[in-house]
Amino acid sequence: MSEAVAIGIDLGTSNSCVSAVTDAPEVIPNEWGETVHASVVRFLEGGAVLVGNEAKRRMADDPRNTVSSAKRIIGRYFFSEEVKRARERMPYEIKEGPNHGVRIQVRDELLTVPEISALVLKEMKELAATHLSREVTHAVITCPAYFNDNQRQATRDAARLAGLQVLRIINEPTAAALAYGYGKGLSQKVAVYDLGGGTFDISILELGDDVFEVLSTAGDTYLGGDDFDARIVDFLVRSFHERTGLDLRQNKWCLHRLKEAAERAKIDLSDREVADVVVEQICKDPSGKVLDLRVQLSRGDFAKMVHDLAQRTFKVCDEALQSARLTAQDIDAVVLVGGSTRMPIIREGVAHYFGREPLGDIDPDHVVAVGAAIHANSLMGKEGGTVLLDVTPLPLRVATVGGFAEVVLDKNTPVPIERSKIFTTSRDGQEKVRIEVLQGESSQAKECESLGSFEFSGFRKAGRGEVEIEVVFEIDNNGIVNVTARDRETGQQANTTLHLSSGLSPQEIEEKASRIQGVRLARSEAG
Amino acid sequence: MDAAFVVEVETLAAILDQLDYFQVLKLEPGATPKEIKTAYHRESRVFHPDRFLGHQDPEFRVRVLAIHKRITEAYTVLRDEPSRRQYEERISGPERERYLRWTMEETEAPAEEEIGTTEKGRKLYGAALVELEAGRLDAAERNLKMALLFEPQNPHYARKVEEVARLRKASLQAGSLSST
Repeated sequence: MSEAVAIGIDLGTSNSCVSAVTDAPEVIPNEWGETVHASVVRFLEGGAVLVGNEAKRRMADDPRNTVSSAKRIIGRYFFSEEVKRARERMPYEIKEGPNHGVRIQVRDELLTVPEISALVLKEMKELAATHLSREVTHAVITCPAYFNDNQRQATRDAARLAGLQVLRIINEPTAAALAYGYGKGLSQKVAVYDLGGGTFDISILELGDDVFEVLSTAGDTYLGGDDFDARIVDFLVRSFHERTGLDLRQNKWCLHRLKEAAERAKIDLSDREVADVVVEQICKDPSGKVLDLRVQLSRGDFAKMVHDLAQRTFKVCDEALQSARLTAQDIDAVVLVGGSTRMPIIREGVAHYFGREPLGDIDPDHVVAVGAAIHANSLMGKEGGTVLLDVTPLPLRVATVGGFAEVVLDKNTPVPIERSKIFTTSRDGQEKVRIEVLQGESSQAKECESLGSFEFSGFRKAGRGEVEIEVVFEIDNNGIVNVTARDRETGQQANTTLHLSSGLSPQEIEEKASRIQGVRLARSEAG
Repeated sequence: MDAAFVVEVETLAAILDQLDYFQVLKLEPGATPKEIKTAYHRESRVFHPDRFLGHQDPEFRVRVLAIHKRITEAYTVLRDEPSRRQYEERISGPERERYLRWTMEETEAPAEEEIGTTEKGRKLYGAALVELEAGRLDAAERNLKMALLFEPQNPHYARKVEEVARLRKASLQAGSLSST
């Protein structure tokens, strides 16, 4: 058997992509030559699962058993705003699981979100194995730079469920920068502008030959191509209502077809001035007559509709530049990432903001997967490789008295890093310390994301204030947080119990992994 | 990989706690911001854990990671003008040993939230959490209700009872659906 190969996977909200370095980096196609695969998972009757563009095309056949955009809710608590929104918008059923977790009901099964993502990853893994005729065991998986610890852990869990050994979780913009600058010996300051289906990220990097240092990163997890589509949907609904008096929002099926039409119109406007939006037989009027929707949308009108969305991305760019202590003029190159950057309004806006044209010869749909593959290859020890120095996107905090959250490690701190904080006992004979760890921009604990409540025990028994407990907060190379504690005087390591975490336990991963790996992936009959 | 490097890693890891941040970055005390950045890149090139992911000795990997974390820590403190000044003051004072690493000030806040006011209540609450974690919702609910007998006013217990009741309802619904 030939040598095992490590792949790079861009696990996106709307689309995923897989790449590997054999002689040179290569984006791996499926049997129909497609290199970008919808992150859509359809559960078929009889237990097989269909993943990718075919699942997306046939979404309307069985919307309740077709899961899309799972990345929007991965690593989120059931009570979170993201999950609330998804429950309103998504045709599949989202339920509450133990520890405020999320479960998705498909057919007669309740699945966790990492299981859904694992099926997308499994498809990518199998595409690569088929194409390369090799066993695929190791991977670098990318995630948005702005992902918090819970989301990163859930992404890593997904990869493990898919039977992949995760070499690293790396940030999407960092991967893109690697694809752009690898092996070129550049000395530049680079901005990576990443507008995906569901999230926006900007990273500012300093490339120094074979060392890529991320100076800052900023993002908006509520802003992506889907929001641009939603504006077109609003417009279509409004104009149809004006003409017929009928509200298409009343019907989920109509809404789904409008969304498809909106996305098509958006794509059309990338190389045309006017898009014809046609949805035949969208609904019946009260007399039973079947109506079509026919509207024209010009590039100029579209630009007006989404102007504020584009501006929001530049506010985030301001923030990132400020953190890096740079101005737009200091940037030597701008890399665009994500299908949404194909929109002329975005390209023009970016060119205007940075005072230079973004790089034109990079495929925004492939660049992240290619960067991941390059990194996977160097992690396998194949080549010297580039050193990636990344940062943590969000302040790490601990909850304090009165509902406040104190910063332990600020955002844009380089990783891997650790910082300790000393706690003293507040009671005679105290045996336990409980610390709630948070991530977020707010100094109010309830507005931050809880990473869990850590309980440390097994200290010496002594009087109040006599035991000093050193709690060590660590962020590793994957951006994942670890917390440990020890008695400062004796160095004795404390026992740690983690409460209130929505993640999967090692046993759960083992159980679910064998199930996921046993799932048969359906191959579509037509491209 | 040459044997000399293995020895270097071992030695450096052993004395890490005795070095100040300038020494970690192999810099002179008066180093300029530019020199600090260059040193961070230079040392990362040598000690980045990604370079040794495939190394067979796990202890060696642990040492490399410890060194690289310290390099990052040094860079983080020294690149920021105010924290650098404070650090320099501390390590040139009489308590140098204590301040070689940047540790957050001791917290005055109580280290443990007082969940219960009675020994029995606390015990039952603890038992309930164990049951909850194991997914035995009935048992968790029983324990919590007993805890409330000892401390009827305790808001933590009350909140937890509600949460468990909600979970039970959800799991009942899921159960009835999956059986159809």
